[in-house]
Amino acid sequence: MKEFSYERPESLDEALQVLATSGSDIEILAGGTDLVIAMRDRYSQPKVVVDIKRIAELSPSLVWDDNAVTLSATATMSEVVGDEGINTHFPALVEAAVVVGSVQIRNRATVLGNICNGSPAADTAPPLLAYDAVIVVAGPDGIRRIPIDDFIVGPGRTDLHEGEIAIAVEVAVPPRMVGSAYERMTRRRGTDLASVTLCATVDDAGVTQVAYGSVGPRAWLKVDETGVLADPSASVEAKAAVFEEIFADASPSVRSLRASPDYRRAMLRVLGARAVERAIERLQELQGVS
Amino acid sequence: MTSNGMVGASPNRVGGRDRVTGAQEYVADIHFVGELHAKLVKIDESRARIISIDTAKAEQVPGVRLILTPDDLPKPMPRFGPQYQDRPVLAAGVVNYHGEPVAAVAADTKEAAEEAADLVVVEFEVLPEVHTIKAALAPGAPLVQDPSLRSGEPLAHTNIKTEINYGWGDVAAVEGNADYVIEREYEFPMITHFAIEPHGFIAEPVDDGLNVWSTIQHPFQLQKTLANLLDIPLSKMRVFAPDPGGGFGGKQHPKLEPLVCYMALKTGKPVRLIMSLEETFQAVRRPSTRVRVRIGLTNDGDLVFQDIETDYLIGAYVDIADRVAEKSSYLAAGPYRVPDVKIVGRTILSNTTPTTAFRGFGVPQITWARESTLDEAAVELGIDRYEIRRRNLPEPGFEFVPGDTPSDGDWRQTADKAAELIGWGTPLPEGRGRGIAFGIKSGPTTGLSYSTVRLLADGSAIVFSGTSDMGQGARTVFAQIVAQEMGIPIENVNVIMGDTATVPYDQQTSASRSTVLMGTSVYRACKDVHGKVKAMAARVHGVDEADIEVDGGVVSLTGEELPITDVVTAGLGALGGEVIGNGEMRKDKVPGHPLAGNAAFFEFNCTAIEAEVDGETGEIQIIKHVTVGDVGTALNPQQVQGQDDGAAIMGLGHSLMEGLILDEQGRTRNLGAIDYRIPTSKDLPIELISASIENHDGPGPYGVKGVSEGSLLCTAPAVGAAVRDATGLVIRDLPLTPQRVWEAMREQQS
Amino acid sequence: MSESVHIEVTINGRDRAFEVAANHTLLDVLRDQLGLTGTKECCVVGECGACTVVVDGIPMNSCLMLAVEIDGRDVTSVEGLAKDGHLNALQQAFLDVSAPQCGFCIPGQLMSAHALLQRNPNPTVDDVHEALGGNLCRCAGYLQITEAVLVAAKAGQQ
Repeated sequence: MKEFSYERPESLDEALQVLATSGSDIEILAGGTDLVIAMRDRYSQPKVVVDIKRIAELSPSLVWDDNAVTLSATATMSEVVGDEGINTHFPALVEAAVVVGSVQIRNRATVLGNICNGSPAADTAPPLLAYDAVIVVAGPDGIRRIPIDDFIVGPGRTDLHEGEIAIAVEVAVPPRMVGSAYERMTRRRGTDLASVTLCATVDDAGVTQVAYGSVGPRAWLKVDETGVLADPSASVEAKAAVFEEIFADASPSVRSLRASPDYRRAMLRVLGARAVERAIERLQELQGVS
Repeated sequence: MTSNGMVGASPNRVGGRDRVTGAQEYVADIHFVGELHAKLVKIDESRARIISIDTAKAEQVPGVRLILTPDDLPKPMPRFGPQYQDRPVLAAGVVNYHGEPVAAVAADTKEAAEEAADLVVVEFEVLPEVHTIKAALAPGAPLVQDPSLRSGEPLAHTNIKTEINYGWGDVAAVEGNADYVIEREYEFPMITHFAIEPHGFIAEPVDDGLNVWSTIQHPFQLQKTLANLLDIPLSKMRVFAPDPGGGFGGKQHPKLEPLVCYMALKTGKPVRLIMSLEETFQAVRRPSTRVRVRIGLTNDGDLVFQDIETDYLIGAYVDIADRVAEKSSYLAAGPYRVPDVKIVGRTILSNTTPTTAFRGFGVPQITWARESTLDEAAVELGIDRYEIRRRNLPEPGFEFVPGDTPSDGDWRQTADKAAELIGWGTPLPEGRGRGIAFGIKSGPTTGLSYSTVRLLADGSAIVFSGTSDMGQGARTVFAQIVAQEMGIPIENVNVIMGDTATVPYDQQTSASRSTVLMGTSVYRACKDVHGKVKAMAARVHGVDEADIEVDGGVVSLTGEELPITDVVTAGLGALGGEVIGNGEMRKDKVPGHPLAGNAAFFEFNCTAIEAEVDGETGEIQIIKHVTVGDVGTALNPQQVQGQDDGAAIMGLGHSLMEGLILDEQGRTRNLGAIDYRIPTSKDLPIELISASIENHDGPGPYGVKGVSEGSLLCTAPAVGAAVRDATGLVIRDLPLTPQRVWEAMREQQS
Repeated sequence: MSESVHIEVTINGRDRAFEVAANHTLLDVLRDQLGLTGTKECCVVGECGACTVVVDGIPMNSCLMLAVEIDGRDVTSVEGLAKDGHLNALQQAFLDVSAPQCGFCIPGQLMSAHALLQRNPNPTVDDVHEALGGNLCRCAGYLQITEAVLVAAKAGQQ
């Protein structure tokens, strides 16, 4: 690993000042599970590494209020998995967070880091998209709130500008009743990177959202307002037709080591159906229907 | 035999304490004052001509002490290898595989070495390469090895290194007698060992010699190789072999020790090279294979003939690949009575990572092909897939390879046990399938192990053994033997290993040989001690030696029974001292034998698997995994179980998830742990049962045979057969990843 | 821009203060600077778990942490399990059940298991598999390792 200057600001102001004076050669250190690898491989060679774990404003890392949870930039996957409120209201996010690597990784990897790193295979991206999460960004010109669908741009790229730092992700409990589920495809049952990531939500108005990733430059959020997917009695053919449209943007890489494009496309459909089915089950549980 | 409760006991692993406290010293944990850190310089090509190596910028890095290039080495480039001396110390003008070292840096710190290695500029010209069997055999294919280095070899102008022909009877003559003939081709992928400890080497110049630390499994072979290469007498070439953190065959033969030695000699300082996991992947792998199997059977399922051709895709340098091919091909027809057999094996050079020994030594690859083909035959013939195998098993003592070691165990009993444990023949829930397979591997065909046992004045003992304990528990086994024979607590036995200067010669640790060969040597050393104790007792008690018995730590004479330690204490007298016993176990070469000797024993295994396949995703769930081996005697049942469970799970690795992936230029794409998947604790079968058949009929002490490879031999065909049984899918390559199974399902549907 | 950072940390129960290079990982510092070679280096990408240590009660891959990050924290490595040379129940269970084969993955397995038992003194088999899912064992002694953890859990409850 090349040498760098290590900064550990204790306030957001301090952090922003460091960013302002360090130009573009900086990296943010939260959990480090992506960054340390990148630095060791010399893929990333920052002049300054800013450790954000002591920034006062980022603590506590997980706060509930008024039907929304705010995960600060230091909230780890383990913290998400262990939070009762998130388990209740955002079970798909828990299902995603719990498979991001092993226990050791989850104890360090942060949700916001997962999003900011910008891997198209980021497990937390589909659920956060489906839950309409908002990314909170602090910069020299103040705070911006960016819907996650706008925040995610492409592989390794987000809407963060130079001098800015993502400080939180806000997830509001949906106003309607929603059932949700997360699915992924891996090469083995043990810890693995996903070759398909997918989250489905179904609400009591019959609207279905499917967010999926690892099959193109970024994760996408698609919505089915026809009510077909949400309808347990709809025919397989009718559902398949809707899924075709939903997955039309999928462009899995031919060069991938992990899975072939054909397999990924096929698994999108398999996992899409399974996720929707489980989402409907969860919705029915909420509605007191079995 | 007086039992001291040591045979068949599972005392705590000797050396176990250090493993649970972190005190265990592996090579990477050893440091020297003034040591230099080495880093390899490599290029990102699988074959290229080296035009120049420019070290100017690299030399500027503070702390750099040496950048070793071929110019610093003797000319012609020194070469070494266990079978052929074809491997150069550094790439000799041409890189022949992805990751072959071109130069090496030694510096005061790891960072300086890394930085300097990055700054070495290698100018090269990419050359055409071959990395598949097809490409290597194609007419006009670029040659991996220069024919001038293979002078005298009939196949020197091809990429075929060696062609082997075995068999008996006359297949051509009897082919017509078979009611049914099946011919299939099966492929086995490139698999890497992935021991959790990467390879590491340290060389320390001393006086007019060298001390070398290595993760090596064969310290004496390494010693010999280095002594020859560097022209240092064996007495001054000292190899320390700390317990390897997993070997599995990948650490058997010298790889980078010669390079590190040259660096140490040139700098006059200790030099340490600890490879990264990625570099280790580039250094060793199993031969991948394409096996064509043709089997003739009667309508009842009796084997009429087998005709098996195996192409082993080996790497750029032979290492021990020819031996792998010889030994595995020799038993290609399996543990069966087959009147006529034709076997051909070819090792095919390629511009890929050199292949070396790997648990199973070629047998898993052939067993995958043969047992799967037999399975297909059984299905087509409408014969029970267990029955078709069982009926062809020989009785104990049958020369299933004519003129060679007969079957050395009750294999039917072993197979029946596996069938019973899997519930063969009982109804299966919908969507599940069962598979079963038999496999056999030769133990060692030659060997030489010396051992010394020192029975000390207070009755405690020290055993010296050159075996490498890389997890199979050799140390414990030898301690058990000594404890048993001396009648002393195992806690009072110290086992010294891993130092060629203090421990007598041992040829190698491989082929599951150590309990049998070194175990016999230790046992004989104990008997030597007994002989001396007898003489002592005769002298002290004024009794004729002929009237004295020494057995299992008890000296019987004139109606009395005395513990050996009492006799020794009395016999040593006021001066004290000790009783030293030496043992030797030699299995000489048999001239003219195709394997240079007949097998000391066989590892026979039957594996049976019950599995379920997800019809949409192709994911396989192993419900039940049974493995049974014929072990003779389980000297330490806990350790035997650990080895069997471990080998079984390792087999699931290449069956379900492992495989090196090369790009179009023969470069390995999935180096390291992120994209090379091995089984984790979450990938286990729902139920794994390993069992041993113990008839005390092995050639080792107390009737032991060797164990540790058996459970790996049949995993793949058993899994494949279970998948076939569940889904009808026939897949003739590995691994059976979800995607692979899904692709087969799609083909089946169209 | 060479940078040395002063940190104060408790390691295996001992308070220590020293300088670390900013670009050294916790694994580097444990092994090379402090001579605590019990923690092992293998994949260095957070996949194998051989480098697992416990920080403030939480198991982490030390290969993916900068050493500076443990400033002010409490670190336990495998060397910190035994007290005054006496193996703890977990270590003893590993020995009794013959869990270590080659032993290289064992320090990491022990630390993951140690952290698990602190948090969940009565784990199920699945709990153990999940907690140790990030600790690769190529000897594949998983069954015996799992058994050892359960034996230790039971011993801890008496």
